[in-house]
Amino acid sequence: MWAYQKKLQYPVNIKRKNVRLAKYILSQYGGYAGELNAALRYLDQRYNMPDERGKALLTDIGTEELAHVEMISTLLYQLTKDATLDELRSAGFDTAYVEHGRDIYAVNDNGVPYTAAYFAATGDPLANLSEDMAAEEKARAVYENIIDLSDDPEVTGVLLWLRQREIVHFQRFKELYDDYKKMGIGKK
Amino acid sequence: MNNYFSDRQMINVGPNDNNLSGVYTGFIRGNMFPSLYDQYKNYQPLMLNPRNEKEQYLLDLDQVQFAMHDIHLYLDNFPNNVSMIQEFNRNRDMYNKMLKEYEAKYGPVVIYSDALNKTPWQWDSRPWPWERSDN
Repeated sequence: MWAYQKKLQYPVNIKRKNVRLAKYILSQYGGYAGELNAALRYLDQRYNMPDERGKALLTDIGTEELAHVEMISTLLYQLTKDATLDELRSAGFDTAYVEHGRDIYAVNDNGVPYTAAYFAATGDPLANLSEDMAAEEKARAVYENIIDLSDDPEVTGVLLWLRQREIVHFQRFKELYDDYKKMGIGKK
Repeated sequence: MNNYFSDRQMINVGPNDNNLSGVYTGFIRGNMFPSLYDQYKNYQPLMLNPRNEKEQYLLDLDQVQFAMHDIHLYLDNFPNNVSMIQEFNRNRDMYNKMLKEYEAKYGPVVIYSDALNKTPWQWDSRPWPWERSDN
């Protein structure tokens, strides 16, 4: 089971509204490289991992990704909370406003709703772990694109932090992948 | 509480025992392992400067929890590393004490908190994690 902790994993206190930046960041909630997709991918793949290391690692990284969903949602909330309708309109956020108001909703930067079709769970530990490594690299690349576009150093700081977590997670998945490969796990 | 900040001035100092960063450095970087740290372009981690006592307590809590967590992920893969297990437990011990202290002062973080033995129901209190702390 899970228990909520009433705090973020890393502080998010953004002072300036910035609807355009929020629109970019939306992709890291409901997009293919987003935190929600990461959480569901690892949590769905954990059940059939071949040993305790795999079950632990996918449970724990999957859980951390839920904390990242909360950080991304917090960025979205703080960046749009005080925006006027004109500001929403000029950043192209008015179309999201029509159906969702100011609620956080899992779509990407183009408004495409989240779908579990963004990830795979194959039942094969090597295929799953190599997908997980690729997923961390894709998330890193998307964070870098958003950092390049960001005009608020405070937001950039949070994005850099989340990007760094992708680096660490990639390494952990790779260690496990390499070891399973060496052990011959996954060979039918 | 200030003893938890011992590495605050050591941002440019290399790894200490176990090849781990100090808790503050590791926390602002999002990575406790100096050998794994991957800087993007010329961007430096944001320095976190608490503006009041509550933010300072929260930063203490966050950074020790993060150290625990990053070591935890490492131990999932390398369950026989004795010095890492010691490092995990050293941080866990600090965290448990700091959490109790924080919750007594500023209200519950977890639903198991002693701070909930009070009326009115303390869980219904600000700030929520997504609310700016200066509000």
